[in-house]
Amino acid sequence: MDTVTSYTRFPTVRIRELKDDYIKFELKDTDPSIANALRRIMIAEVPTLAIDLVEIETNSSVLNDEFLSHRLGLIPLKSERAMEMRLSRDCDACDGDGSCMYCSVEFTLNVKCTSDQTLDVTSHDLISSDPSVVPVDNNLAQDINGFDAPEARGILIVKLRRGQELKLRAIARKGIGKDHAKWSPAATVAFQFEPEIHINEALMESLSLEEKKEWVDSCPTKVFEVDPQTQQVVVVDAEAYTYDEEILKKAEAMGKTGLVDIISRDDSFIFTVESTGAIQASQMFINAIEILKTKLDAVRLSFDTEEADDQFGELGAHMRGGGM
Amino acid sequence: MNAPDRYERFVVPEGMKKVAYERDMKIMNAATFTIQREDHTIGNVIRMQLHRDPSVLFAGYRLPHPLQYKLVIKIQTTSQSSPMQAYNLAVTDLDKELDHLKQVFQEEIAQKQSEYY
Repeated sequence: MDTVTSYTRFPTVRIRELKDDYIKFELKDTDPSIANALRRIMIAEVPTLAIDLVEIETNSSVLNDEFLSHRLGLIPLKSERAMEMRLSRDCDACDGDGSCMYCSVEFTLNVKCTSDQTLDVTSHDLISSDPSVVPVDNNLAQDINGFDAPEARGILIVKLRRGQELKLRAIARKGIGKDHAKWSPAATVAFQFEPEIHINEALMESLSLEEKKEWVDSCPTKVFEVDPQTQQVVVVDAEAYTYDEEILKKAEAMGKTGLVDIISRDDSFIFTVESTGAIQASQMFINAIEILKTKLDAVRLSFDTEEADDQFGELGAHMRGGGM
Repeated sequence: MNAPDRYERFVVPEGMKKVAYERDMKIMNAATFTIQREDHTIGNVIRMQLHRDPSVLFAGYRLPHPLQYKLVIKIQTTSQSSPMQAYNLAVTDLDKELDHLKQVFQEEIAQKQSEYY
């Protein structure tokens, strides 16, 4: 057996911004395929919890049952527990109906409008059987008087008039975005290749100040700027460059082709991850790495496939008649 | 009416093997791996990693049809290695790379959070 060689890369990460539901970071020294795989997994394969089964007892609202159930399914639920939970179809603790505590969370909703004012039924009215799994509420800001700000009402489900009632029981289960988009924890996941901008100083010198300003202005986004003190063109924000080639065309039109050289580095990415609130953005990325590892584990060749191969396996050698 | 169930995209049915291996009869040291219920997400990653191995002469992947949820990877190596060895090495290396990435990321998060307090 020859020495085991390894072609592993060692990626590096630098976080630029970190908030609960938003993270912006740089990922370097890795391949676009890994960056793309992580992006795809964050959107489609990180598991979360969402309402999957709704039993309606009373519904006299203006929306029909299935419309209401659809809306309930789309409400994001805080899913920190989701990675440890089992999928309903794999759960053996319940009798296959997918409603035991290991694979589901039960919600109830019971509202009746008794006043003349329109009653807004919101996600705040959903009562969960597990206090750690509740609908996401992004607007818990408090206004200056210390009361809950007017927006802290939760996600609107339906509006009821006097006499209308809504009573239902809902079961939330674990799932992935590939099955239905309600289970996707990602609001937006994007990555861009980091651009590298090289200004040809010699050619730049041959431009007058007005020409420099004109050229800088021809870029739709603010990438360059003429420094007022030194009268030089400097790069102000390389990442704002959207790979439209306006400045290149403008340079050609002015007769100065090759004024600037912009290449996108294929080993350095800037990720922007925004979550719906179901999982923290940083946790979403960590879960995505875990899931990619699980997938790779699942596709490893099993030992008996290797052995049975008639060219390379040892069993195959026996079958061929002795081998060595 | 004819649409398959959505979970067909990622649930491997009973009795079906996740990875099937078939040696190529006509070319030396070449094999085809058929992975059930996977897509570009790992196909591209494994293909990229296989390209980094100098003993791999040919590595490619494809999805034969968008409605058939399987992935086909074709590998040809020099006589120094075998397609199975190259495949296993690629998967192992990717595992290590992801381990490293996870560790680096968690350290960065911990450091960034401690900066707030």
